[in-house]
Amino acid sequence: MLTEFGKVLLFLIVGAMFVAGGLIASWILRPNRPYPAKLSSYECGEEPVGNAWVRFNVRFYVIALIFLIFDVEVVFLFPWALVYRELGLFAFLEMAVFLAILLVGLAYVWVKGDLDWDKPVPQIPKIERDRPAYKQQTPAEPVAV
Amino acid sequence: MVEQLLQSLSRFLPETTLTVALCSTVVVSLFLGRKSQATLFVALAGLVLATWFSFDQMGVSETIFSGMVAVDPFSVFFKLLVGLSAILILLFSLYSSEVQSTLHRAGEYSALILAMALGMFLMAGASNLLMMVLAIELTSLSSYILAGYTREASDSSEASLKYIIYGAVSTGVMLYGISILYGLTGATDFYGINRALTEESVNSVALLVSIIMILVGFGYKISAVPFHFWTPDVYEGAPITITAFLSVASKAAGFALMMRFFKVSFIDANAVGLPTGVWTSLQGFEWNKIVAILSVLTMTLGNLVAVWQNNLKRLLAYSSIAHAGYMLMGVVVLSDKGLAAVLIYFMVYLFMNLGAFYVVMLVANKTGSEDIDSYKGLGHRSPLVSVAMVIFFISLAGLPPTAGFIGKLFLFAALLDATWIWLAVVGALNSVVSLYYYVRVVRNMFLRDPEGNAEPILFSTPQLAIVMLLLLPTLFFGLFYSPMVELANASVMMFGIR
Amino acid sequence: MILESIVFYSLAVASVGSALLMVTRRNPVIAALYLILNFFCLAGLYLTLQAQFIAVIHILVYAGAIMVLFLFVIMLLNLGDERKLSDAISPRKIIAGGLSLALLLELLSIFVTGTEGLPEYNADQALQVGTVEYIGKQLFTKFLFPFEVTSILLLAAIIGAILLAKKKPD
Repeated sequence: MLTEFGKVLLFLIVGAMFVAGGLIASWILRPNRPYPAKLSSYECGEEPVGNAWVRFNVRFYVIALIFLIFDVEVVFLFPWALVYRELGLFAFLEMAVFLAILLVGLAYVWVKGDLDWDKPVPQIPKIERDRPAYKQQTPAEPVAV
Repeated sequence: MVEQLLQSLSRFLPETTLTVALCSTVVVSLFLGRKSQATLFVALAGLVLATWFSFDQMGVSETIFSGMVAVDPFSVFFKLLVGLSAILILLFSLYSSEVQSTLHRAGEYSALILAMALGMFLMAGASNLLMMVLAIELTSLSSYILAGYTREASDSSEASLKYIIYGAVSTGVMLYGISILYGLTGATDFYGINRALTEESVNSVALLVSIIMILVGFGYKISAVPFHFWTPDVYEGAPITITAFLSVASKAAGFALMMRFFKVSFIDANAVGLPTGVWTSLQGFEWNKIVAILSVLTMTLGNLVAVWQNNLKRLLAYSSIAHAGYMLMGVVVLSDKGLAAVLIYFMVYLFMNLGAFYVVMLVANKTGSEDIDSYKGLGHRSPLVSVAMVIFFISLAGLPPTAGFIGKLFLFAALLDATWIWLAVVGALNSVVSLYYYVRVVRNMFLRDPEGNAEPILFSTPQLAIVMLLLLPTLFFGLFYSPMVELANASVMMFGIR
Repeated sequence: MILESIVFYSLAVASVGSALLMVTRRNPVIAALYLILNFFCLAGLYLTLQAQFIAVIHILVYAGAIMVLFLFVIMLLNLGDERKLSDAISPRKIIAGGLSLALLLELLSIFVTGTEGLPEYNADQALQVGTVEYIGKQLFTKFLFPFEVTSILLLAAIIGAILLAKKKPD
C-alpha cells in the first residue's frame, strides 16, 4: 500500500534512474578524446572572456527580501483555504485582519518606490575633440518651414 | 468561541491601540511630506492611550485568547513601565539631534518604536511558549533595525549587525531548549508545563539542559553575563534614544517574561509549611542556583569593566549590565518579597537611567562628543544639568537620599530574609566598586577645568522640563517610597498562582 | 516496515553527509548548494514523520526563498574561493569545539536514557497532527492570536528590510 507521498518517492526514484541510465549509457558508449577547445565553456561559438562570476545589482536583493516576507505570508493561506468552508465567516474575518495589516506593508513598499525597477541609465560615450574652425560659430536657429 | 474571542478582545485594548497606532504611523508617513514630526506625535498619542488603557486594567486577573496571554497585576505593571518609558523616549526624540537630522525617516522610526513597545507588552503577558517566542522576536526584530537606524554612521551598522547575529544565535538556542521542554511535558502553556511536571517525574538531565538553553534567550534579552557581548557595542552604536529605550524597557520586558516563565512553570503548588509569599521549585529542581551564578557574574563583570570605560555610552552600558545583575538577585530568592523588590528597582531604574541617558544626549547634542573628557568643567558651563546628572549618578550608585537607595535596600532586605547572605555581600561589594566610576564622571564635571571651549551651554525650557520630569521622581521616591512599595506588593500577583 | 527503515536511514545519512560537506566546503556557492540538498533530505524526514505541511513549507520557504537570498548575498559580495579564512587553530576555535562537544554529549545522554518519563501520544492522533487540515484548524481556532501577531511581525520586517537595505539616501 502506497501513500500519496510514497508515489512521489517512487516517481523520484524512477526519474533518477532514468537520468542516471542515460548518463551511464553515454559514458560507456562515447569516445573520450578531450582537447582544450572542447573543454572550455560554450558561448555560442565565441571565445569565452573573463570570469563567469557576475556581481549582482543590489536591487535584486531588496526584491528578494520583499519576496521572502510575502512568501511567508502566502504560506498561511494554504491551511486557511482548507478550513475556510468549515469555519466560514469567522475564518474570513481572521484572514481579513491578517491581510489588512500586511496590506499596510505592501502600500508602504509600493509608495516608497521599492517595487519600481530603476533601469540603469545608459551612458553614451562622448568624444571630446576640437571642432573645426568653420563650425565654431553658433549655428543659426532652424527655421520652421 | 466567538463570545470568548470578544471577551478577550475587550481585555486586549492596550495592544489593539498600539497596533492601530502602528498602522496609522505607516500610513500617515506615506501621505505626509518628507520632513515632518507628525508621525512622532501619532505614535505618542497611541502610546499615551495604550498606557491609559493598561492603567484601566488594574485589578483584572484572567488569561485571554485561549491561554496565550495573561492579563494580571504583574503584566499590567510591566505594561505601564514599558508604556511610560516609550512615552519618555518619544519626548527625548523631539530633542535628539540624531532623530531630528533624519526626519525623512521619522515614520519608520516611530512605527518601529511602536512595534517594539507592542512586543514588550506581549512579553509582559505571554503565558505560552509560542507567544513567548513571538513576542521576543517582535521586540528583537524592531530593536535590531532601530540600532542601525542612523545608517550614515558606520558604528551604527556594526551595532545592528552584531545585535542580529547574537540575537539569532540565542533565539536559536532558546528554541532548541523549548522543543526539548515541549517533548518532555507535551504542553506549550506555562500552566500545562507545571501540571505535567507535577504529575510525572521527567528526565532531570533533559530538563536541566532545556532550562539552560532557555536561559540563554532570557540572558540575552536582559544582557546577563555571559550573553552580554552585544551590549556595549550596540549601546554605543545605536542612537542614544534607542540605547536608553533598550536599557530600560527591553530589560524590563525580559525580566517580566523570565519571572513569569520560571514562577508559573516550576512552582510547587503542593508544597506545605511555607510562610506566605514564599514558594519552592518542583522536584527539588533548583533553577534559582543557576540564576544566582549568573547574577554574580553579571554584576561583577559589569562593574569591573565599567571602571575602564571612557565613552559615557559604553560606561552606562556596562553599568546597565551590572544593574541587571543586581535585579537577578531578587529573582533568586523565590519569594514575593524578592519579586516586589525587582519591581521597585525597575520603577526607580526607569527614572534614574533614562535621566542619565537624557543628559548624555543633551550634552552630545551640544558638544558632539560622548567622551568622558568632554565633561570636564561641565559643572561651570551648565550647572543645572550637571547637578541633575550628579543626582542620577548618586541614585544609580545606590546612595541615600535618592530612590536608587530604596531600590537596593529592598533587594538586600529580600536576600537577607531568605538567608542568601553571601549573595548580599557580593552585591554590596559591587555597589562600592560602582561608586568609583560614577564619581569619576562627577569629578570631571566639577573639579576639572574645561578643556578649550568654556562657554556656558544653554538648554531650552522644554528640554530642562524633561530633565525635571525625571529628576523629581528620583528624589521624591527616595524620601516617600511607600506608594511605590504598595504598588509593587500589589503587582506581584500572577494569574492562577496563589 | 523494512521499506520505511530504508527510506529513513538513506535520508538520515544523506542529511548528515550534506551538512558535513556544507560546513567543510571552501567555495560558498557549493556550500549553499549542499545546504539546499540538506533541506530536501530534512523535508523527506518530515514526510516519514507524517508532517506533510512542515515538509512542504520547508521546501517552499527555506529551500526556495531563503536560499535565493543566501545565493544573492554570495553573488553580491562576490565571494569566490574564500582562501582568506585562516586554518590556524586558535583558542577561540578550541573553546567553540569544546562547547559543541559538550552539547553533543548532553543531547546524546538524553537520547540514550530513552523515552521513560515522556508523555505518551496516541498513534492515531499523531498521524492527524501533521496534516494541513489539522494545522489549519488549530491555527485558526486555538492559535488564532499568535497567527495575528505574526502579521505585525511581518510588517515590522518589511519596514526594517526597506530601511536597512535601501541604497538610495532619500
